[in-house]
Amino acid sequence: MNRLQRFAAPAGMALACLTVPAVSAERKPLPKELPAYGVMKPVKAPAVKQLTLDNGMTVWLSPSAGFPKVAFTLAVRGGYTADPKDRPGLADLLSATVTQGTASRNARQLAEDVSAAGGDLNAESTSDAIAVETSVLSEKAVNALNLLADVMRNATFSDAEVEIAKNNLSSALDANEADPSFLGRRALYRALFGDHPYAVTAPARDTLTKTTAADLRKEYTRRFRPERTLLVVTGDFPEDAMEAAVRAAFGSWKGVGEAAPINSEKPQVSISKTIVYVPRANSVQTAFLIGTLGPGRKEPDYAATRIADAIYGAMFGSRLVANIREDKGYTYSPGSRLAPKREAGVLATRADVRNEVTGASFNEISYELNRMATTKPDEQELEGARRYILGSTALQLQSRQAVSRSLANLWIDSLPPEELGRQTEKIAAVKPEDVEAAGRKYYPAWRMTVVTVGEEKVIREELAPFGLEFRKAP
Amino acid sequence: MLIKNYKILLWGLAAALTPAFAQTWKVPAVTKTLKNGLKIVVSEDHSAPTFGICVAYGIGFRLEPEGRTGFAHLFEHMMFEGTPNAPKGTLDKVIEGGGGNNNGDTRYDFTEYIETAPVSALDPILWIEADRMKTLDFSPANLENQRKVVEEEVRVNVLNQPYGLFFAIDLPGKAFDTYPNAHNFYGEFKDLDAAKIGDVQTFYEQYYSPNNAVLAIVGDVNPEEIFAKAEKYFAAIPSRPSPPKAKLDEAPQTAERRATQKDKLANIPALAVGYRMPARGTREAVVAAVTGELLHNGQASRLYQYLVKEKQKAVSVDGGVNWPLGNPFEFNGPTLMTSFVVAPPGTDEAAVVSAYDAAIRDLTEKGPTSQELERIRAKMRSDWFGQLEIPISRASVLAHAVLFDGNPQMVSSIPDQIATVTADEVRKLAAKYLVSGNRTIIWRVPEGKEKK
Repeated sequence: MNRLQRFAAPAGMALACLTVPAVSAERKPLPKELPAYGVMKPVKAPAVKQLTLDNGMTVWLSPSAGFPKVAFTLAVRGGYTADPKDRPGLADLLSATVTQGTASRNARQLAEDVSAAGGDLNAESTSDAIAVETSVLSEKAVNALNLLADVMRNATFSDAEVEIAKNNLSSALDANEADPSFLGRRALYRALFGDHPYAVTAPARDTLTKTTAADLRKEYTRRFRPERTLLVVTGDFPEDAMEAAVRAAFGSWKGVGEAAPINSEKPQVSISKTIVYVPRANSVQTAFLIGTLGPGRKEPDYAATRIADAIYGAMFGSRLVANIREDKGYTYSPGSRLAPKREAGVLATRADVRNEVTGASFNEISYELNRMATTKPDEQELEGARRYILGSTALQLQSRQAVSRSLANLWIDSLPPEELGRQTEKIAAVKPEDVEAAGRKYYPAWRMTVVTVGEEKVIREELAPFGLEFRKAP
Repeated sequence: MLIKNYKILLWGLAAALTPAFAQTWKVPAVTKTLKNGLKIVVSEDHSAPTFGICVAYGIGFRLEPEGRTGFAHLFEHMMFEGTPNAPKGTLDKVIEGGGGNNNGDTRYDFTEYIETAPVSALDPILWIEADRMKTLDFSPANLENQRKVVEEEVRVNVLNQPYGLFFAIDLPGKAFDTYPNAHNFYGEFKDLDAAKIGDVQTFYEQYYSPNNAVLAIVGDVNPEEIFAKAEKYFAAIPSRPSPPKAKLDEAPQTAERRATQKDKLANIPALAVGYRMPARGTREAVVAAVTGELLHNGQASRLYQYLVKEKQKAVSVDGGVNWPLGNPFEFNGPTLMTSFVVAPPGTDEAAVVSAYDAAIRDLTEKGPTSQELERIRAKMRSDWFGQLEIPISRASVLAHAVLFDGNPQMVSSIPDQIATVTADEVRKLAAKYLVSGNRTIIWRVPEGKEKK
């Protein structure tokens, strides 16, 4: 029912102070009557008070008065990267059960208490971290903080709750294995990362079967530790009182025993030159997920690659969308995304196309990728993309929860909160030749791992002319 | 690792942490109507140098012509395809090049066009919205292109998806009897294929007039400035005869309706239940909203606790009044309280339905506890504020209220209305509406995998 369902915008913040020239269309001039843009007001990155508690826990407080809610994000270093080698995806089971009871509250009481504060208790695992989050009414902020500390320090992992979670995650895996985007993502990450923990996107069945409540209690002690934890608080609260409340809730927390090792190896680029396919009977579309390793936030060409990606496929007005949607009508929701992880980024193109245009779509996507790799964008195209990124990063500052999550993402990458402003300065400084270099480095079509989900016969017939080897997803 | 006296220690801090105005926060909203009938609502918020805009038109799925299912949404796509002044592609260049982004939404009772951007892009974006309120390109080639795009949208969200949105399309289709409320809003392909450029022109003439629209702007702006700009960009657009009022009434439901569907793509079974709900704007509708949230809102909800945790007859539970195409306050015709339950592999229908019935019966017989009611009020207030945080989303909520009621008063009054709902009202509402004779059930089962 929407015009588009876009990939989520990349996380980041703006500290822009630009005088804005009128942007013209690529070829056609803009309408004469169109009023000019005004001067972009400077956007202030949020002021963050940074504390380190005596136990090593990091606390970032960013108050903003007015709107009566407070957002909390707790991040624990190590997600799938801290899972034992023989238990890929264990972090998902850990995040599903950590919220299901503490020494003083059972799962139901936790759910009710956070709801009474106006929030939901969300715990989620990613490659590099486990995040526990909520967003509540300001007047109930202390109750929520109290409850979060309880979860971080006193989770119990009762046998009964662990059993329910294992069954539910197993059923969720059944349900997800019918979904083309889940299947495509799992196949792409496996193909790109091989044995590296970045290959994990969901728990392995084996992990769900083997892991016991006792294992989870042990993992919790090894992983939920103050020196590995960040707390971000944003929204409407008095800073001093919140700092005192945080010290009271977390100050006496101590890690016990050895911490779990975290795999921080940098993944190597693997180039497959094959078409990986996930057979899915009765599919009426082929789902493409075409990707490669790109830069993470710390790489020098991260800013230039974000701009390249906006020009290529991340904006609605991008080349890819203009070509395969607005010109050819092959697909509804094409797009690209640069998703940064701590040690690398993933650059991926997504398009779901009707079966009979599978080959034609792949041809156009390859063309647009190679065009990025071989030509320099003109100044106007670059300027449009630059302003889109500066604007959308500024727009993210509107949401307390988004600010909280963005700050946590920086910390996970070992970057300071000031990086929010620096990223914006770097975006402002990107030149056409920087984009050209990023295009040449990351965008050649041959460099991509091509994943397709759909009818095997359709995929094989439609993509035969490209002469690539077919490989069934493991 | 247990710490003692932990709650007591924090007790004293709670008072210091509570801002005095948190309980009473209200959305600022100022309104004006132009001579051509365009209603304007402005909400100032200077917390960021950005703004959000929503132009909502009083046209949705219910009013699309018979034989043209899906047309309101196909038409929405045509609103992005250019005008004689601003050809295809201009709109995205202006908005994204101004640092913003945009989207459109078609629902049962409105179609909206939304943008958000740094406030430096305010004038160009107002110009673009006014330009497409004057006329469109009406290009047959663009219609052909967007017909294909919409058909891919239906494929990606319905035909190639497990469950295929059956809880949103097939459930109302079975629960209601009249075309406006029951037809497939995404569109049958034969109807989408039959749409002609003349249909686009007629639809535009009928429904896309300033007097059938609301302009809402939220953010780093002030009302006087916006009223002046609205005058400048929109005042010259002529009003047109008001569209006819649609007949949306349904004859009362008298018996339970049931169906079983096979799903070629899903791996595990699912259940959808829809109860017909009281009309919007009534006291009962507010009570129904609270009832829907008691049953569905988050892990503390009754259905989650009973079906997922206690009985383990569900993997997930979603739903509420007017779910999934809006919140419990934003509809303007017959609607349902929908539950969508995904069940573990191999579960049979009777087991899920009987667990579901037990959860409903408990509410019908005993009503909520006072603690539970207090909790859901706080949660609903928090969720309602959550929708009003970001300018683009607040603009949307304000625009819908003005479209339905002529004023935005409802947006501020929701928390107060929720606060007065009593346990007895909930129990009575549940006993009256959450009965089998008022509901429709669809059981959706994986084809060939019934017993996994």
